[in-house]
Amino acid sequence: MNSAPPRTTSRREFLAATALGSVATLSGSVFIAGCRKRARALGSISNAQQTAAVLPQYRPVRFLTPDIPGEGPLPDGYLKFPSTLVRAIAKKPGSSGRPIKTMTPAWGPTPPGLGRNSYLAAVNAELGVDVDPSVQDGMTFAQKLSAVLGARDVPELLSAPRWEIDKIPRFSQAVKALFEDLTEHLRAEHVEEYPMLATLPTTAWQYSVWGGRLAAVPYPTDGPFPWALFYRKDLTDRAGVEAPKTIDELYQFGKKMTRASQGVWAFGNIFQIVQMLFKCPGAHTGWRKKPSGGLEHKYEIPEYRQALEFAVRLHREGFVHPDIEASSGADAMTLFNAGKMLMTQDGVGAWRGTQSEQAKITPGFNIQPVPIFSAVGGDPLAWTEEGPIFYTFVKKGLGKERVRELLRVLDWCAAPFGTVENQLRQYGVEGKHFTRAPDNSPIPTELGRKELADQYGLLGGRVPALVGTADVPHFVEDLLAYSRATYKFREQNPFLGLKLEYPPNYSKILQTTEDKINDIVRGRRPLADLEQIVAEWRSTGGDEGRAFFEKALADNGR
Amino acid sequence: MNDPHVSSAATLKPGKRAIGARLRRDWPFLAMTAPAALLLLVFHYLPTLGNVIAFQDYNPFEGRNAFEAFMKSEWIGIENFQVLFADGAFWDAVINTLSITAFQLVFFFPLPILLAILLHGLVSARLRALIQGIVYLPHFFSWVLVVTFFVQMLGGAGLLAQEFHRHGLTPWNIMSNPHTFIMLVTAEAVWKDVGWASIIFLAALSTIDPTLYEAAAADGAGRWRRLWHVTLPGLRPVIVLLLILRIGDALNVGFEQYLLQRDAVGRQAAEVLDTFVYYDAIVPQQWGVGAAAGLFKAIVGLLLIVSANKAAHRLGEQGVYSKT
Repeated sequence: MNSAPPRTTSRREFLAATALGSVATLSGSVFIAGCRKRARALGSISNAQQTAAVLPQYRPVRFLTPDIPGEGPLPDGYLKFPSTLVRAIAKKPGSSGRPIKTMTPAWGPTPPGLGRNSYLAAVNAELGVDVDPSVQDGMTFAQKLSAVLGARDVPELLSAPRWEIDKIPRFSQAVKALFEDLTEHLRAEHVEEYPMLATLPTTAWQYSVWGGRLAAVPYPTDGPFPWALFYRKDLTDRAGVEAPKTIDELYQFGKKMTRASQGVWAFGNIFQIVQMLFKCPGAHTGWRKKPSGGLEHKYEIPEYRQALEFAVRLHREGFVHPDIEASSGADAMTLFNAGKMLMTQDGVGAWRGTQSEQAKITPGFNIQPVPIFSAVGGDPLAWTEEGPIFYTFVKKGLGKERVRELLRVLDWCAAPFGTVENQLRQYGVEGKHFTRAPDNSPIPTELGRKELADQYGLLGGRVPALVGTADVPHFVEDLLAYSRATYKFREQNPFLGLKLEYPPNYSKILQTTEDKINDIVRGRRPLADLEQIVAEWRSTGGDEGRAFFEKALADNGR
Repeated sequence: MNDPHVSSAATLKPGKRAIGARLRRDWPFLAMTAPAALLLLVFHYLPTLGNVIAFQDYNPFEGRNAFEAFMKSEWIGIENFQVLFADGAFWDAVINTLSITAFQLVFFFPLPILLAILLHGLVSARLRALIQGIVYLPHFFSWVLVVTFFVQMLGGAGLLAQEFHRHGLTPWNIMSNPHTFIMLVTAEAVWKDVGWASIIFLAALSTIDPTLYEAAAADGAGRWRRLWHVTLPGLRPVIVLLLILRIGDALNVGFEQYLLQRDAVGRQAAEVLDTFVYYDAIVPQQWGVGAAAGLFKAIVGLLLIVSANKAAHRLGEQGVYSKT
């Protein structure tokens, strides 16, 4: 389970991260693959480098000079909000007057719809056309997606998380049947009609190619890490307990901080992080190269067993919050915020949103990530993710003019930090959806928190930027420091730059196997069952997956 | 059948005139039935045709539209059924479903009858209305609410557990114990629906002729004898009817309740047929196998309802329907 929570800055996206663990829980399946007489769909492999011909030209535009220039996968950092903004788009994108139906995921309460939402009204006025969003719960987005794709009933603009797309069998066929081929609109210099889309990095566009054609607008990632381990520094400081630096200290943290009689438990779900601390591989569901050649999966290596043993121990000792054990973890952050649970894994994006929102409610609230360490000696290992966080698809068969109008809307939605468009899109209307802090940074109001749910933000991608705001002081510096420290220990991903559509028999067993292992983590099955579970995994699709991933490497000379 | 309309129609000569005459006579009834029949046609019979995908490697992305996808998907005979029947998880789900049905037939089904009899025996109409209001209410709560309520009360961090902790005791594991899950879901179902389910029995009770009670009492029958010889026989047709319907529905135990609690106890305890179809067919887009499971469920349900109805006839009951 290596789906990446987006590491972005808004509250909604942070919730996206929270949702991931559980979204992943909802997918996958079990059929005895051996019973299939024929394997019908085989998965597909393509190399991101080989797509150059259909990609848009990269035309960076910089409206502001970053205080901390980005490096590698880390975005530009801006410590202050600018006092003057630039207007990036002169002409209103809307021309037809026909409303645009969109579907975007959101993690958190569903915002009011068109006609009852002043934020939508403000942005639509600027666009010159009504965007009519259908905001769907990110936790169950995979199922919504399955349904709309299966029914061939897609909205004009559909934004979907990459980690859900990765799991959908025959998705490349769905793209061909349901979504517009954008190649001729955006290829090479054609993108000049959409100058903001042209600012999106080429590495993100490379992933938007299916069957050799450009089929989506990417939402570039702003950070490489799928998970972080967060703790309530304010509460642990008060108890005189420090962030753990070894696996034994992590255990001791559980022992010292769990106070069941007061309704406080040390841990939420931290099993992914525990695997990482034990240096299990994380690339594409957990594969790594064997020294002797070929691939091995994390399920098959001793480190995984150790990680599992450790997780079982935390459960047995009663250090894990009972509500987390009893559900998919949907309300993990609620328990964390209430101080009922002191440590949990989440997307790095959880950091800012939680801090911003909770600091107002709980004075002194302090969420911090635990620096990673190794439980098995040597340097620690940090799982990394690549590729865009979301894709936006355009419905097929709308006619050239409509597609151009939709692309102009997406172009507007892609305006980067430092523009008027970006401020309206990310924060709403000043005085209504946000107010200014003394340092000029926007602070969301209640109405802003209620009405904004990235209805436009997810559609157009945008050049990622880390922006310092007064509600979370030092955030940019802290996040970059954490990221740099962690990035030193990044996992070498053998599949880097390859776009893989897993064979259906492999996607099907992902979640079933995780369910079975979860039974062990929660003490419903003995640890000794691991061998049997892994044997089942191998025979029902695991070995087929291995062959697929090995072929992916072989085909690309790796 | 001593319906006057039917008998008079039967005496007419068969043929066009008879149909015409019947139409003229019955059109208001037909008009009244039409919307319901249309709904049935559009939302039940038409989608039933979609069951063909149980025999296909259905690919919704074939062709230019959904209809073409049906036509162009590859026919694979009974392979979907073979896959399904060879899958241990499917049979686990069937067994779980049937166990829950059987358990609830014994521990849930009689409760609304008892509650109805109890309520019927209340003399104060105001008290009865009050109790009815209270016991009907949970029916209108969604399962999300019911499960949340149970978690807040009985969960590992809930009220009861907190009380245990306060007294230095180890709390019971109620909400996430796979071994007692069947009791938990039954308790939830009872809490939610026992009042609602008693309505139909209350209605049946009110149709029992009070003079029967008077006569029985005059003959010296006590409370229990009256219950046994008057009340229960009066309820019997309704009980049998509902029992047959429940048996025909044996493979349906609800969906949300299990979906919501599957994580807490694991799939070994909480996977029922509907959640199996959801997780193993709909989510991973195995439409053909999912349709096969649905068809299996429908056929088993049909067989069960027919045999239960036959059994009811043997016992001299009217059942759900009869041929003559």
